[in-house]
Amino acid sequence: MSEEELAKDLGPLAALTIGVGTMIGAGIFVLPGDAISTAGSLAVLSFVVGGAIALLTALSASELGTAMPRSGGAYYYVNHALGPLLGSIAGWANWLGLAFASAFYMVGFGQYIGRIVGVAGTVGLGPVELNAVSLIALAGGAFFVGVNYVGAKETGNLQNVIVIVLVAILTVFTLIGGFQADVSNLPRNEGITPMLTATGFVFVSYLGFVQITSVAEEIKDPGKNLPRAVIGSVVLVTGIYALVLFVMSATVEPGFIASMGDNQIAVVQVAERLLGPVGAVAMLFGGLLATASSANASILASSRINFAMGRDRVISPDLNVIHPRFATPYRSIGITGGLMLTFIVGVDLVGGNAVTTLSGIASFLHLIIYGLLNVSLIVMRVADPPDYDPDFRVPLSPLTPVLGAITSFALIYYIEPMVTAFGAAIVTWAVVWYAGYARERSLTTGVLTKYLREPRLADGPVEDMPATDGGDYRILVPLANPEHETELITLASAIARQRNGTVVVTHIVTVPDQTSLEYGAEHIEDLDAESESLLQSAREDADTYGVPVETHTIVSHESFEEIFDAAETHDADLIVMGWGPDSHGAPGRIEGTFDEIAQDVPCDVLVLRDRGFDPEHVLVPTAGGPDSELSAGTAALLRAEYDSEVTLLHVADDREEGESFLETWAAEHDLADTTLRVETGDVETAIETAARDASLVIVGATERGLLERLVGGSVVIDIAEDVDCSVLMAERQRDRSLWQRLFGRD
Amino acid sequence: MNPDRDAAGGAILGHALLPVADETDARATARALSPYDPDHVTAMHVVEKGEGVPDKTPVEQSEAVAQSAYAAVREVFPEADTHTAYRRDVVEAIQEAAEAVEASAIVFQPRGGSRLIQFLSGDTTIKLVTETEQPVIALPRETEET
Repeated sequence: MSEEELAKDLGPLAALTIGVGTMIGAGIFVLPGDAISTAGSLAVLSFVVGGAIALLTALSASELGTAMPRSGGAYYYVNHALGPLLGSIAGWANWLGLAFASAFYMVGFGQYIGRIVGVAGTVGLGPVELNAVSLIALAGGAFFVGVNYVGAKETGNLQNVIVIVLVAILTVFTLIGGFQADVSNLPRNEGITPMLTATGFVFVSYLGFVQITSVAEEIKDPGKNLPRAVIGSVVLVTGIYALVLFVMSATVEPGFIASMGDNQIAVVQVAERLLGPVGAVAMLFGGLLATASSANASILASSRINFAMGRDRVISPDLNVIHPRFATPYRSIGITGGLMLTFIVGVDLVGGNAVTTLSGIASFLHLIIYGLLNVSLIVMRVADPPDYDPDFRVPLSPLTPVLGAITSFALIYYIEPMVTAFGAAIVTWAVVWYAGYARERSLTTGVLTKYLREPRLADGPVEDMPATDGGDYRILVPLANPEHETELITLASAIARQRNGTVVVTHIVTVPDQTSLEYGAEHIEDLDAESESLLQSAREDADTYGVPVETHTIVSHESFEEIFDAAETHDADLIVMGWGPDSHGAPGRIEGTFDEIAQDVPCDVLVLRDRGFDPEHVLVPTAGGPDSELSAGTAALLRAEYDSEVTLLHVADDREEGESFLETWAAEHDLADTTLRVETGDVETAIETAARDASLVIVGATERGLLERLVGGSVVIDIAEDVDCSVLMAERQRDRSLWQRLFGRD
Repeated sequence: MNPDRDAAGGAILGHALLPVADETDARATARALSPYDPDHVTAMHVVEKGEGVPDKTPVEQSEAVAQSAYAAVREVFPEADTHTAYRRDVVEAIQEAAEAVEASAIVFQPRGGSRLIQFLSGDTTIKLVTETEQPVIALPRETEET
């Protein structure tokens, strides 16, 4: 089993349980009373409408989840598709939305405990008076934050049991209630607007399905199981909600729910009427489990959002530090927990209906995310980057996501104005945050921005080199040493032109370990005054080739690691970097850094040992193998761009065998009409001799770990040091065929 | 791999399996082990999985922690192999790894902490020393560390 498979341990049922367990919590146990009081007989419909809106978004989330099974879920998709401004909004909305939802669940939990132990009223705490329910909510909230803080594994399997128990309780309730239902009991129809208002605050009951996508990387066979779990959980809970609401409305006489006391819980009262004390106890028990499991799941989910935001530097990654003993992201959990407790106190002090205020804010924030999620799907469909390959595709697109976006945003209109104003303030805060913090630091560029910037070149690629998809081949050029800037940019631009790609120039500013990266980022100009001018000249160089170019600066302790991180965040398909005895890290330090990095190359890498870039006569020594495919591909591109003369060299024991190998190999790699040269004897000598006639040698790493051997010493490195011309060393990413990616065919 | 390992057959530090938690722990453990000059070292990290429930941390993050821990071990033992396990039960994962890589001993540094911390984080030390078939070596903790 590969490591990736080992990391996937959530089966279809577990994935479904995450969604159902998060959703079926407080929504159905806390809100039906308020929903029926607001919408009357249409309360059933308000849950169904909420479910329908959620389902539209669930379809989009499924497609994005199968295309990008990365931690962070909804935030990640929005940030990836729409860029860091909307990404910041989605991130903050997702994070705070979960904190508000958790606060809401805990107030529900407080109501249930309060009902069981029979406390009500207010308790004075010094100058403030808090509701007894709020105090229980605070205690419960602190407990669940603590559980997540120390990461007690024992809570884990409970979730499955809880979901089964809850579904069982609600099923029995519905079945027995169904026999006693009488349509004449249905309360007055309050009309469409109150129904939609109720939809607005009960929408908090549909927050769980996106949590499934945030653990997408842990799901077995995500292409199949993720959409099933996401869509299945929404359909399942919508069905349960609708039935429970129908039973509640139709089995008790109209006015029963409206006339309940303040500290009564509608579901419990109805269950008591239908099933006697047993029903009440079962519902009280169910309500406790449900609110607790929802809160627990939401606290964990919010730490995933923080992780993804930190990964993109939308917030400080320091927030995601893992506790040395508990192995939990304790800071993130602690802060989310603190926010949740603050919201519980805050909403009590503000007054009004704590439950609908908290659920309204949580609904508002999630509706924003869901709207943006649908927009993201549309953008991904239109831009269609080559790495976008979802296993599940939304039916009837673009109608479905357009409808999803419109309904999500439209529902916000029906949320109470005060709640909307508060939610809007959070969105404003996210924009301010973006402007003041994330804009400079964020590592990502949205697919949308790339798509809009992408020039439609008239003089496209030559015919026999069709780009898989225009403009989306991304070449990362990490620069550290200004000396080689022109050569690296020239090489990268040439490839970008042929591949219709984008050059992403990244200046890596190395700071000593003692300097915090944040300090470094803030003092970039003092640390490296050259940064701007270097990036400027890189931009100009790339412009002369007419290829699109992006520039970034990264402050780092270890430049190699940062290069590969940058390759991942910028979705690079190829890294073109320079290497010399003293580039990318001080000499002497280089080994440790290399060792760590060499194992995992995130994309194809071309390393230039620069002695002036001159592609006139290219020598490609080959012994076959994946890395020399990259040499061959690069040589073919250079030939197309510069009309280079290409010589292929193969060193064999047997000349005849060598010749037939090289002929086949050349034909396979579109290099048939080049000079073929077969030598026998010592590989190194043969290559060095042949290199005397060449202006550029392109050599494959031939086996894993080129970078490692840059330091460790190997044939390739010896050649790179001994010949007089520039040497380009090629190392291929392992999991996808370079040939496929570079040329878009098998 | 050390070709003389079989010759060293009986040596308890012929092939030390070094379970490490994070970078700090890895560095401290490797440094504590280095005076005893083991023939071969395999650093291992257990990515704690939920096995049916979501993990405490994203897999991506856990793997990054593993990589930085391995790098810290390699500062001391450049030739060290690495082994990443994905399990809910850390001790079982270490035992399985010890068999898989044919380790001569499991070497670790107890992480101390108050009783409460040990209880909350699940005291692996006792389980490790009582339930394992291979020799288990507990390294002394450096005194300046608390």
